[in-house]
Amino acid sequence: MKRITLIVSIVALLAMIAMLPMSAVQADGHCEFAEDSIKIGGLVPLSAPGAVAGGVAMSWAINRAADDINAACGVSIDGVNHAIEIVIGDSEGSPERGQAVVERFILEDEVHAVTGVYHSAVGLATMGMLDENGIPTVFSEPWNDNVSANGIMEYDGRPPRNADGVDHVFRVSPASSMVGGVVVDWLIDLGVGNVVIIAENTDYGQPAAADELARFEAAGATVTQINVELGTEDFVPILSRIQASADTPDVVRVLVTGETSYNLTQQMAELGIAPSENTICVTNQVAFQSEQYWQNVPDGNYCAFNRVGIIPSLFSDTAVELNAAYFEEFADIVPSYAMASYDAVWIIADGMARAGSSSDGAAIVAAIETTDLDLSQGRYYFEYGNHNPDLPEGTPAFMWHQWPDPVVTMMQYFEQGQSSLDAAVIFPEVYQTHGSGYIAPGTSP
Amino acid sequence: MVVFRRFESAIDQGIGRRKLGYLVIVLVVLFFLWFPNDTSQSNYTKTVFISGFFYAIMSSSWALLAGIAGQFSFGHMAFMGIGAYAAGLIARDGITFALLGVSISPESISAFGSIIIGTIAAGAVGLVIGWLLLRLRAAYLALFTIAFSELFRIMMLTEYDYTGGSNGLSLRPLLQIADVDAARQVEYYLMFGLLVVCLLALYWVANSPIGLFLRAMREDEDAASALGVNVVRYKILVFVFTSMIVGFAGAIFYSDVGSERIIPEQLEILQMSLIIAYAVIGGMESLIGAAAGAFISRYLLEAMRQVVITLPFGMTTYDGSDAFVWEPGFWRFALFGVVMVFTLRYMRNGLLYPIITWFSGRDIVMKETVSRRESDDNHAARIEADDE
Amino acid sequence: MVIEDTLFILWLMVAGPLWATVGLLVLPGVNQGRGEKEQIPATTLKIAGLIGGFALGPIGVGIFYFEPTLIRRTSLTLGVVLTVFLTSQVLVRVIDPNFPSALWLLLAGPLWAALAAYFIPRHYRDLEADDQNALTAAALGGFAVGPLIFGLMWKTTPKINRDWMVTFGALGAWQIYALFAIQNPTNPCVALPFAATYLTQQTANGVVIGCIYSLMAVGLTLIYSVQGVVSFAHGQLYMVGGYFSFYFLEHASYHLSELTGADISVNPIWGIPVAAFIVFIMGAVFERVFLKPMHEGLIERVSEYAILITFGFGFFLEYTTLAVAGPFPQKTDRFIQIRRFTLDRTQITDDFAFGPIHIIGDRAFAMVVGIVLIFALLYFLQRSWTGRALRATSQDRQAAAVTGINPTNMNTLSFAMGSMLAAMSGAALIPIFNWVPWVGAEMVGRSYVIVVLGGLGSVPGALAGGIIVGIVEALGAGCHPDPSRGAAYKEAFALVIFALVLLLKPTGLFGREQH
Repeated sequence: MKRITLIVSIVALLAMIAMLPMSAVQADGHCEFAEDSIKIGGLVPLSAPGAVAGGVAMSWAINRAADDINAACGVSIDGVNHAIEIVIGDSEGSPERGQAVVERFILEDEVHAVTGVYHSAVGLATMGMLDENGIPTVFSEPWNDNVSANGIMEYDGRPPRNADGVDHVFRVSPASSMVGGVVVDWLIDLGVGNVVIIAENTDYGQPAAADELARFEAAGATVTQINVELGTEDFVPILSRIQASADTPDVVRVLVTGETSYNLTQQMAELGIAPSENTICVTNQVAFQSEQYWQNVPDGNYCAFNRVGIIPSLFSDTAVELNAAYFEEFADIVPSYAMASYDAVWIIADGMARAGSSSDGAAIVAAIETTDLDLSQGRYYFEYGNHNPDLPEGTPAFMWHQWPDPVVTMMQYFEQGQSSLDAAVIFPEVYQTHGSGYIAPGTSP
Repeated sequence: MVVFRRFESAIDQGIGRRKLGYLVIVLVVLFFLWFPNDTSQSNYTKTVFISGFFYAIMSSSWALLAGIAGQFSFGHMAFMGIGAYAAGLIARDGITFALLGVSISPESISAFGSIIIGTIAAGAVGLVIGWLLLRLRAAYLALFTIAFSELFRIMMLTEYDYTGGSNGLSLRPLLQIADVDAARQVEYYLMFGLLVVCLLALYWVANSPIGLFLRAMREDEDAASALGVNVVRYKILVFVFTSMIVGFAGAIFYSDVGSERIIPEQLEILQMSLIIAYAVIGGMESLIGAAAGAFISRYLLEAMRQVVITLPFGMTTYDGSDAFVWEPGFWRFALFGVVMVFTLRYMRNGLLYPIITWFSGRDIVMKETVSRRESDDNHAARIEADDE
Repeated sequence: MVIEDTLFILWLMVAGPLWATVGLLVLPGVNQGRGEKEQIPATTLKIAGLIGGFALGPIGVGIFYFEPTLIRRTSLTLGVVLTVFLTSQVLVRVIDPNFPSALWLLLAGPLWAALAAYFIPRHYRDLEADDQNALTAAALGGFAVGPLIFGLMWKTTPKINRDWMVTFGALGAWQIYALFAIQNPTNPCVALPFAATYLTQQTANGVVIGCIYSLMAVGLTLIYSVQGVVSFAHGQLYMVGGYFSFYFLEHASYHLSELTGADISVNPIWGIPVAAFIVFIMGAVFERVFLKPMHEGLIERVSEYAILITFGFGFFLEYTTLAVAGPFPQKTDRFIQIRRFTLDRTQITDDFAFGPIHIIGDRAFAMVVGIVLIFALLYFLQRSWTGRALRATSQDRQAAAVTGINPTNMNTLSFAMGSMLAAMSGAALIPIFNWVPWVGAEMVGRSYVIVVLGGLGSVPGALAGGIIVGIVEALGAGCHPDPSRGAAYKEAFALVIFALVLLLKPTGLFGREQH
């Protein structure tokens, strides 16, 4: 028994020592802060089955924003500086957990505002609760149209959030219809007629695929949709099937995220399906993280991808700084959801400063509605909200409390190992950097 | 130590350990009944408790199946999912028997009715699977149930049009209480009541003659069969019974009691492995041990998200604060794995075993298994026999 | 086989219950006028009356009344037929009211298979015939030739050899293919003239990836054959193998570049021995500390302990890796700088061409690595003293101990080598798939399928099983009528085969026969 106790305690001790990296609390000398700080909850996925990599980056960005704001003496309300304190909650990518964490944010941590959210399912499940409790919320990554549309319309049997007053939920990520529109417009401009969409069977892939499919078909293209399970490694049998089909597809569109999308794109390139002379490769926006992309998809040159957020050549100083910091931390280009999460904290802080309160939800919402800020992703403003409640005919419902300008562009690599900061922007035309709408494999602009 | 001995003998002469044990159980129950009335506790803690109760049901029923009956199933989560999905599908779509011209509309089924149908569905599938499993032992059984539960999960994920895919499936809410605090209160008592009822049912089975037969079969199936135990019947019975319990618990938990919808990710092997780990840490052969193991582990995993260690004697850390803030992240799961492995190796009957033994005053769990080993001269031969 | 719904409903609603009631009332009368010993339990008679009346109406009641000896088997058969028929109809109607009748034919196969699998082996045992493989043959045959199987096997109870099973299996496969061709004539797997090329391509895909899968499965089977333990940490050992290779290559490339000043990238082939070495030691230590007590009689119920302890080890490895390496995908350089090997299109006749067929370069290389390692292992097991000692231990521990082999060491060696093989396949695959800490889960599921298919404990079986699983996955994903479902169910095809093998022939295709 003694030996066992010894072994156990040694192992426990070693484990403790291994686990000692501590988070340092920033204490800045030059600012005088009030006793009570402003608490902002960051709801991100940090364990499986959630998208852990996304959650880690978002959590980093949210904390970074708080540090930057505090370094600039926090939020000034009535002439008193309040520091921002971040409370991170792990949604695990599950609606049930998300709800529980939001409940904890509200009742236990008593947060003044909430940001984050990666999975749409979590966003949809939590937004009603946030609204009811009057917590100003700026979501930074869920794409489902209904996240913002539910401000003014009934969804899933639930009444709209602002039916009886203030709607507290904003979004600075794009609605998936905004993204799908750009990709399809670009491809239709190029004159594609035969499209293969490979989509993951999740709450991201399926609605996005359905949306793009409808748009392609409306434009007269024929579409084959193939659903795959996240986590699949070997796509060769499925790709052989595409390769064997009588009419070669004009484009293969990948609506799969994370490491699964890298595997798929790489195998597609190795088999010579796309990018090739006949077939355009449109991969997922995760390709923007170029270090990771080239490591995992060495044959992925000439693949196009959609990019959300300001194009690299127009990066503001904030964006450049944020990117440098991100590169130092994770050795990669900053992804859009990290930028959006960073900006969301600033938007909240700015709203509180202008509202002159950190706890009056309605006043903060009114202030956020009239946001006009230049941050890492560009200029932020909200077109429709209580300040401008009537959506004109033809404006989709998701424009409510939605940042209208997440710049969605198509980008394309044209050199092996190229940084995404140097990749060509090819669509829309106003943003084109290399004067070309599509760079054919083997050529250079 | 001396103090403890003295305390021990005082107890033995006075109230008796057993009675004290019952007293402790009553106190624990009273604590849980009182808990929601503690206004200083937030709804979040109640939420953690509610899911703790749910996993306690999962773990303790698994302990009956694996620990007492020796059927090492990895399909427990899948049966829970069958209960929840069946309840949700019935409440949403109803059933149409085109051939019989009979149609049950969703409107005619109450939330509780759909839960009952879900339970029956879980039991029915349990019956078929339990029957198929008769031929399989230990590792083969584990592998087969892994395959079954993975197949089920992939189907739920892929048949998007019917099951909602990864968006999950909403079940019909069981309770319709507008006030959040009151609703949480009722959900708390509902789930706790369910745990108590399930534990009583499980104990009733474990302590009935069936429980004895199951233990006998676990130790030596052929011998039990030779002594006249109907092996087939009891094996299937226990499988159906536990499947129905978890199907019932799952259907209730996901009827907006603990969660508003069930998602296929809940059915991953990883989630199943957590249930097994809880049961192992609490004690696989003790139902209450497994339940307590699940509850405590979940609570600790939750509490360990952020550990604040306040330094004594006015010491400060290098950046001037008086406390270490440690966010273990994934390390807490790694630690959990270490605890599980060492528990298995050195405290086979779970970390709560010494406490349970002390209260019961004898080695309830060990005796049955050890006696068999003592009577068995050729241990190596038995290893061979077990493996086939 | 289209049944008029209205008539059928009428019959079900009126005739079935009616005759069931008659049967219920009449049949217990059978016992009158029968001797004490010939009495049949009343419950049996009542159930038989219910089922017989419901299914066959007056005929059923009549047969049972006059020939009570037929009651047991016939009512069971009818009961099963009715249950399967009704449940399948209900299921089908719930899922899709316009269910095509051709698919009903497909349902009939499994129905006959289930019936044959239930009755024929019992019949064999009743007659005390050699019932080895009878179950497998009956199930396959029921699927392939329907009710005819009873004619073939009932009367003569032939001894079943492998030919029977192969014939029935091939016939069943052919039927599925034919049904497939009828149902879905535009499918690339049946549409001429592409089908030949396409099927060859998919089979090649399957074989290549299958050989890679085998390497991992061989480790599992090696551990099982010596220890009788299925390692549930195998997937995680595979995963850490990949990570060890990755970090070694990264550091080696960095330091070599520093030293020489040139930009050197170490070929990932060197990662394989490194990962193998580290994980071999890990496996040995784990075995000594946690598995050894199992063989010393310190642990009760060893097989369950083995599952749990390896499982806990895997759990620990996965989360430790996640904490150390992070959730971001990683990948090493490639083995060879050839993107793919292509067999060019060849015109065979005027209107029939074959090809092109592509194989990805790195995969072909990994396949070679896998095959070489498997054969090296086989050579080691056959020729070296240690290898022979391992095999001897796996066959008979006591006898091996008598001849001076230390079984404890052999246990450690087998676990360490098995883990090492998992790590080697991880290191061989990290240039092909990108690596995240949960990468082992999908792979290990497949390894279980492979070892059970090939027979737990058989090394050549694992190789064959790997190739079969590879082909099944490739053809399943490639041929499923709905490409979407084909892709999403890719993993599921192998799992179905797995479940069937476990139920029909748990010893696998090449496993040692049970006694």
